[in-house]
This record gives sequence, C-alpha cells and structure tokens, in this order.
Amino acid sequence: MKRFKTTKGLIGIVLLLAIALIAILGPMIIPPEASTAMDMHARRSPPTLIHLFGTDQLGRDLMFRVILGARTSLEIAVSAVVMSVVLGLPLGLISGYFGGLTDNVLMRLVDTLLAFPALLLALTISAVLGPNLQNTIIAIGVAFTPYLARIIRGEALRVAQMPYVEAARSSGTTDIMIMGRHVLPNILPAVIVQGTISLAFAILAEAGLSFLGLGTQPPAASWGLMIQASRDQLDIAPWTAIVPGLAVALTVLGLNMFGDVLRDILDPRAK
Amino acid sequence: MTLPAGQYRPAGSPHAGLPMTYILNRLLSVTLTLFLITLVTFAVTNILPGDVAMMIMGTQSNPEALTGLRESLGLNDPLLVQYGHWVGGMVSGNWGDSLIFKKPILGLLGQKIVASAIIVVLSMAIALALAVPLGVWAAVHRDKWQDNVSSSAALLGVSLPDFFWGIVMILVFARWLGWFPSSGFVEPSVDPLGALQRAFLPSLALGLGLMAHLTRMTRSTMTGILSQEFIRVARAKGLAERTVIWRYALANAIGPVITIAGLQIGYLFGSIIVMESLFGYTGMGWLTYQALLNRDLPLIQDTVFVIAAVVMLTNLAVDLLYVVIDPRIRLG
Repeated sequence: MKRFKTTKGLIGIVLLLAIALIAILGPMIIPPEASTAMDMHARRSPPTLIHLFGTDQLGRDLMFRVILGARTSLEIAVSAVVMSVVLGLPLGLISGYFGGLTDNVLMRLVDTLLAFPALLLALTISAVLGPNLQNTIIAIGVAFTPYLARIIRGEALRVAQMPYVEAARSSGTTDIMIMGRHVLPNILPAVIVQGTISLAFAILAEAGLSFLGLGTQPPAASWGLMIQASRDQLDIAPWTAIVPGLAVALTVLGLNMFGDVLRDILDPRAK
Repeated sequence: MTLPAGQYRPAGSPHAGLPMTYILNRLLSVTLTLFLITLVTFAVTNILPGDVAMMIMGTQSNPEALTGLRESLGLNDPLLVQYGHWVGGMVSGNWGDSLIFKKPILGLLGQKIVASAIIVVLSMAIALALAVPLGVWAAVHRDKWQDNVSSSAALLGVSLPDFFWGIVMILVFARWLGWFPSSGFVEPSVDPLGALQRAFLPSLALGLGLMAHLTRMTRSTMTGILSQEFIRVARAKGLAERTVIWRYALANAIGPVITIAGLQIGYLFGSIIVMESLFGYTGMGWLTYQALLNRDLPLIQDTVFVIAAVVMLTNLAVDLLYVVIDPRIRLG
C-alpha cells in the first residue's frame, strides 16, 4: 500500500504538471485561429493524422480546442478556489479562534449555506448575475466558500487551544497577532490540502455549469462547453464527447491523486 | 446468540428512545435554519446586482412591459416587503405562479418532487449496493491487490463528471444496446415499470459518482473495526468468517457510512439538475434548470428554497437515524 501511495502521488504530479504545461504553453504555441478554423472537408472527422483527436460539427480541430479549453477550465477553477479561500479563511479563522457567540452565529450561517447544494448555488448565482467567464468564477467561488470556512474553522479551533497560543495570549499578544503568527501558519497545511481537493471539484463544477449553458459562453472553448456541444451528435461522433471528457477526467484524477498524497504528508491526522 | 464485549452489538438489537428535550431542541433549530434558508435564498436572488425585470425579459424589452412586470411581481416594493410577501405567501400556501409554466408553483413542486425522490433513492441504493461490498472487500484484503483495485475504482468514479457517465449510459445502454429508454419521464402511478426504467440510467450515472466516497468510508471504518478486540474474540470462538465480517464488523462500521451517505444527499440534489436535464427527466432538477434558464424568478426562489429545505431535513433525518441504529451515540 505504501508503494501504491507513492506511485499514485507520482502519477498525480506528472499528470498535473503535464496538464499545467499544456494549459500555459499551449495558447502560446498554437495560434488562436487554429482552434476556430473550420475544416469544411473534415466535419465530424474521427481522429486522423491531420486531426489527431478528430473534429467537431463545424470541422474545428478537437486537439487545439481541448488544449485552449484547458486554459479556460483551469483559469476558472484556480480563480474560484482562490476566491473561496480568500472568503473562507477569515470567516473560519475568526469563528474558530474566538469561539463562543461569534462562532455560533458565523457557523449557523455557514451551515445554512451548506444546505444549498454547491452546484445549485453556483448555477443560481451565475443565472442571476448573467453567465460569463467572470461570473462563473464568482459563482463557484461563493458556492465553495462555506466548505472551506467549515474546515478552516475546525482547524483554527484546534490550534487555538494549543499551549503556545495560550502562552502568547497570556504574554499580552493581540488577537490579530496570534491569529496571523501562530494560528494561520499551523492551519495552512489543511488549507492547502482542502484547496487541492476543491480544485478538482471546481473543474467538475465549471464543466457542469458550462454543460448547462450557465457557465462559460461560446465561442470560448471550455471542456464543459465541448461536452455540451457533443450531446446532439453522440451517435455519429462520440469522440466529440470523449476527448473533452477525458481531459476533465485526467485533470480531476491528477488532482485527487495528488491531494490524497498531500493529505498524508501535510495532514497525517485526517486519515 | 451471545454477544461479544458489551458495548458492541450486531444491528437490530433494542435501543432506548430519543429523549424529548433533544427532539425539541432539534425542532427549534430546524425552524431557525428554515428561516435562514429563506433569507439566503432571497438574498441570492434579489440583492445581487441587476434588474430582476430586465433579467426576466431581456435587455431589449420595451419599458412599458418592464414597468408592468415590475408592478405585477411587486418589484417596486421595498425589499423587506417583498421578502415578507414571499415568506408570508409560502406559509399560507400561496407559492405564486410560475412565469414560464403559467401554473401555481406549489402543484408543480409536488409533482416534481416525487419524480426526483425516485432518482435520489434509487441512485443512493445503487451507490450503497456497489460501495459497501467494495469497501468491505478492500478492508478485508487490506494492502493487497484487491485494496488497490477498489481504491482505483473509487478514484475513477469520482474523477469523471457525473454527466459524462450519463452520456456514456445513454450511448451504451440506450442507443447501442437499446435496453433502456434514453430519456423522458412517466408518472409512476400510470406505469410503475416504465417510471423505474426511465429513472434507472440517470440513477446509475449518479450512483457511480456517489460510490467513491462511500467506498472509501466503508473501507476505512471497516479497517478500524476489524483490528479490534471483539473481532478477534468472535474469530477465536469459531464463528464463520462471513458472520464475523458481515454481521459483527459491518454492523459496527455502517454508521459513519450512513452519515457520509446522508451528507451526499446535498451533492445529489445539485447533481440531479444536470442529470435530469441530460435525460429529459422532468423532476425537481429539471424544473430548477428551466427556472434558471428562463429567469423565472418566482420559480427560482421556490425551487431553490425547497431543495435547500429538503437537503437540511434529510440531513436531520440521517442524524436521527444514526442515533437510532447506533446506541453508542450520546445526544448533546
């Protein structure tokens, strides 16, 4: 099992590095026209030497589109998770550190938010704000915040009871200083682990939102949009669904594998 | 049958009832949470920037129509009045009319909830039926290849978006093999078998996504239980391995699995939006999607509220169930 875990972590890291490289370098190497150029002689072409991953209903090359989609999907996922950490961290930190009434009120709010399925909350926010790339980020970011806040609160609560925090308090250090100097550094590992796992969920959420037409909008290429476009042509061109589906799967798989190992290293209690 | 060490017991032995104060406390807390859910729902749909009338009718619509719509929806009233109107309406049984379906929302909801309940229950059943044996299998053969296979399968299940599984199901079972209809919904009272058939593929797709966490949870709690003293005692006194694993170990390990399953209900109610839309299965998820897509504000508010309320109540039910099946839980 130990060797299995190490292998798993390695595969995860390699997958993630490869995908990140493709997402960052791809758009630099491939001219933007390549993903929108329509090859009218090869519409819905299965994978061939010219179109390695095949083409879609408009004859657009799926390899180029999936590579450009990587950037969109990752950009949204990373921004959304950063946003949920930025919102959830102070919420969880204050709640867990101060405890008592503050904690009760804040966590009551967080628990209420948790009753809303994340996807439902994200879809609603996106529909109300008007679906586009920026609002997709906001929608997923807000929807994930209560989860982050809950976990950070639990960690902060644990650290706040540590003797060194007690010592700092009795020596007259201000609460803000204690939170920043003593509590925050000690809850960071848990935040990193949760952030990695949230990234996987954010990729899936973006795909779901775009799939329903309430996320990224065409002509942008995102994995969810590509799968959505494939719906009507599954019989004749299944690769139009399989290519972006695999892209999502590999990324999420990489994040989950990496996240698992990261948790074992950084957060040995959470097993 | 004699039981091993007192605190452990196989499933189904008698237990004490729930104390009254605990129930009252929970009821109070439920009422408060329901109130907070209405606040959040209202906030998300109303306080966010943007003109609701414009959102419903589009930016190109003429000013008179917009004014008329604002009037009829009461959008000119102060927010507090609008909120009071909405909640007051719900309490008195007047949930308003849907703008797109032109029907009372309460009736629509009643119909659609039944349809979705079939999917939710079926997918949870499928997920548990797959996850529990897989998790037990992994725990029994801990650190062997079976364990790796099980955790790899779980990882794969959680890594694909569930609508992708849905697409695969449609392709394989509906289009190629023709075993199931690929879409639609029929009333269970009209055609029970047909209703189940149409619910099966979306439920299977959802179940595959759900099983991953449940497999992991089963494996880890089973691993913990299997290393305990009373299991050794049970084995030492010559009980069949099957009895030890399924009746002794699993009975004590199932609690946390059920808790996780309960927590997944929320996730499930998010996923049905995608899955029901994909399969054209006209349940709550589909209704919510139609509301969001067509900017049907009254319907958005009511569906979002109902889903959150159902999720909260289901979690409560699971909590109580957990207490009932596991007498070791202390009520606080």
